[in-house]
Amino acid sequence: MNLLSSCGASAGVKIKRTGYDTTALLSQTLLSAQQGNSPDVLIVDNPVVSTLADAGVLASNDQDNIDTSAVAPNLLAAGVLNGKTYGIPIGANTLALYYNKTILSAAGVDPSTIKSWADLTAALAKVKAAGKGGITLSAIGTEEGSFQFLPWFWGSGANLTKLDSTQGTAALQLWTTWFKDGYVPNAAIQDTQTTSWAEFATGKYAFAENGTWQLSNADKAGFPYGIIPIPSMAGGVAPAPTGGEFVTIPLQKDTSRYATTEKIVSCLTSSDNAFNTDTTLGYIGATAAIQAKQASNPELPVWITAVGAAKGRTSDNLGTNYPKISQQLWTAVQNALTGAKSASAAMSAAQAAAATATGGK
Amino acid sequence: MNPRKSLLKTGIGLLLTALMLFPIYWMINVSFTRDQDIRKSPPNWIPIPGTLEGYRAVLHQQGPYIATSIVVGLGTVVLTLLLAAPAGYSLARLRPRGGGVLSFVLLIAQMIPGIIMAMGFYAIFLNFKVINTLPGLIVADSTLAVPFGVLIFTAFMSGIPDELLQASRIDGAGYLRTFRSIVLPVSRNSIVTVSLFAFLWAWSDFIFANTLDSGGKHLPITLGIYHYIGNNDQQWSAIMATAVIASIPATILLVIAQRYVAAGVTAGAVKD
Amino acid sequence: MSDLTGAASQLSRRDGGGAAAPPPRERGGSRKPAASQVAAWAFLAPVTIYLLVFYAYPLYRSLDLSLRNYTVRSFVHGHAPFSGLKNYSIDLHDPTFTPALLHTLIFTFASIVFQFAIGLALAVFFVQHFKLSATLRALFLVPWLLPLIVSASTWSWMLNSDSGVVNSVLHHAGIASVNWLTAPKWALVSVIIANIWIGIPFNLVLMYSGLQAISPDIYEAAALDGANGWQRFWRVTFPLLRPVTAVTLLLGLVYTLKVFDIIWIMTRGGPAGASTTFATWSYQLSFGNLLPAFGPGAAAANMLIVMTLIFGFVYFRIQRKQRES
Repeated sequence: MNLLSSCGASAGVKIKRTGYDTTALLSQTLLSAQQGNSPDVLIVDNPVVSTLADAGVLASNDQDNIDTSAVAPNLLAAGVLNGKTYGIPIGANTLALYYNKTILSAAGVDPSTIKSWADLTAALAKVKAAGKGGITLSAIGTEEGSFQFLPWFWGSGANLTKLDSTQGTAALQLWTTWFKDGYVPNAAIQDTQTTSWAEFATGKYAFAENGTWQLSNADKAGFPYGIIPIPSMAGGVAPAPTGGEFVTIPLQKDTSRYATTEKIVSCLTSSDNAFNTDTTLGYIGATAAIQAKQASNPELPVWITAVGAAKGRTSDNLGTNYPKISQQLWTAVQNALTGAKSASAAMSAAQAAAATATGGK
Repeated sequence: MNPRKSLLKTGIGLLLTALMLFPIYWMINVSFTRDQDIRKSPPNWIPIPGTLEGYRAVLHQQGPYIATSIVVGLGTVVLTLLLAAPAGYSLARLRPRGGGVLSFVLLIAQMIPGIIMAMGFYAIFLNFKVINTLPGLIVADSTLAVPFGVLIFTAFMSGIPDELLQASRIDGAGYLRTFRSIVLPVSRNSIVTVSLFAFLWAWSDFIFANTLDSGGKHLPITLGIYHYIGNNDQQWSAIMATAVIASIPATILLVIAQRYVAAGVTAGAVKD
Repeated sequence: MSDLTGAASQLSRRDGGGAAAPPPRERGGSRKPAASQVAAWAFLAPVTIYLLVFYAYPLYRSLDLSLRNYTVRSFVHGHAPFSGLKNYSIDLHDPTFTPALLHTLIFTFASIVFQFAIGLALAVFFVQHFKLSATLRALFLVPWLLPLIVSASTWSWMLNSDSGVVNSVLHHAGIASVNWLTAPKWALVSVIIANIWIGIPFNLVLMYSGLQAISPDIYEAAALDGANGWQRFWRVTFPLLRPVTAVTLLLGLVYTLKVFDIIWIMTRGGPAGASTTFATWSYQLSFGNLLPAFGPGAAAANMLIVMTLIFGFVYFRIQRKQRES
């Protein structure tokens, strides 16, 4: 917040900040743009950038001289549509597995040996036998649910263009089996990541799938914790989705405003300022320079590697198709976990619906 | 009724009330619960050990929100009365041609889902530059109460005895005079009823506040609670403490006014 | 609608209420002088303008949204092509359509039946004026004044599968936990329960005032005739309450069909669409996902309005038939 006022001051203006709930931000932005009331600077979650760009709400980077050359390509990909880039990421975060050291040692589980799904499932079984909860995650019927499911989906080798591949179905089957065996709390079906973290923080669960932004909360948790990357099906690190916001510039009727806006955006994303923002928010920097500065913090190297291996959700040229596919994905997860459909039936239905929605792509 | 039966009924009444208000009790319970005990299973029925942390957070942050809600509520009441009372009078006593059609339209108006209204208002408010302002929010909230208000006023004012109105007409008073000096004073019960409904519905509104005033300088309490719930740090005791505090002014109003509400909803006696 | 105001004015007669009351007064102003018509509409003018600006316009926009093919781009920049009834067709063919319809009907009727029955029973109970009855009655109204976001959150918390107090009580009674909000077969039940709780005060207030307007002389007369409590209620009281019942049920219908906040906050229409109604479905289409589909969303909302209209008409017919019999 102070950063906003200081950047504003150096550009000679006062900045008015309006915060919205993430889910409401997109519709509010569209509504504002329709009425010609867009803000000068818009900070949005990355999967939404391509939708806004497609709607003609945002100015592309060549239009307003934003330099994104230093930004890691995998992080910038979410802002690319039809060869043009829109906005600049302010930092990135991703998912990993937090674990409760006390519970794991009591159950005789060594977290460093968890490299594949089989290892993780075995660990969960041991923890359950020792009378503790397994893993908290978020399987809610919103984008958060898809976000949490993606590391497993991608970790099986599946691709978002074909949800009902054997690998994709295997990923869903993994969660379904965990759910049936009681490794995951039932409330996961409607938990947000904030709520699933709160469950982990009670100290009753061995693992939590959650993101970098929980680091400061983890320190306050009251039990010793550690972090391992999410394992993939066969072994190794699963690609996790990138979270984090983009700073974008909506199109304005009065183009003289752009000069000031550009100054503010450069200020916000300058190396030092971005570093401070990222540290406060628990994000990993978007450029190699910032990441290097962050590497000196012993807690962060695991995350920096994870972010390096991460994928943007709208990359692979999915762009505006991603939201349609994502909706089917979280629906499939909900269907399978509630027992409404079997994992394979859920995925087939999802793929059929996604194909119709995206026009058979 | 004989005293024993009365006492028995009081007992049953207390039991029923306790059952009905249990969720409220739970709300208060959670507002005093420490964060680490929130997810205890089984949960604490009495918040011991408790904390005042939730209320501390509320008083620090939510005061302005409550003040805003009060202003919006009162504004909505005034606007609703200004619009609905004359309309009720006209429909009840002045026999306008097409009055039935208007009543029917008012019924249909209440069928429109809130989100449709909110989206339409956004465009209108933006053009009239009242977006993110309290007067704008007051106008929006009044749409929640005006149709219902007209219904109540119409029903009530139909029951005013003709003699009263005729007397004033014979004295040479015009419709406006009659309205102001005879009809309104005698409609006290229905005025209180409509005011209560209008205030409570405005107090409770979320969708208009969220769509039309999110960026405003003054936010009502529903947005305050919502921001708490949406935050990364879910402090349930603070959320429930806010809810408890947000309920107090309305509770006071209700207890004071309920006497009039009961009598005012249908046409009551003029001899009140 | 004129039936209702006429009916309610019947109730106002303290001289015995419904059975012997004169018929509703004639509508129509053909015998009234022009001046009073002008005055009548002058009083109505503010509300009429208000209706046009604040109700007709949003309705028009919603209609427009549903009849055009809107992408996010055309939503922002305009020039969406006219697509006729295509959005409605999309909704009708969506697999969510039938479940949403079913859920809307179940939700509405279950809510109204229970809210009304419980509200009426409580009103009958409280009209007996025992000690503390006025205070307790006032307390019963508290659930109604809570912002919906508060009620919904509280109920969500109480119904939580693992830390909720309801499951804790069930445990004590030896019953297994119920996944109130996360199991498809319980999700709709849970939101109905919460909605009933919220709706009882409204019904209580209206029915209580209806009961209050009935003169005690009627009861005395019935008691003299040898009628016991139960008979008194059904043969005498309930028929006299017909006008108020009519208003209460009709308003209950209109308000319940468009209920959105409670369901959205408690279950978001899930899990897997198990508690989706037309109101939540419309919102979901337009605002509840990353790629807004304003056309189908507006179409669903318009279909809800039509549904309400149909039910309203059916209701009026039943009312009219009953009064003629």
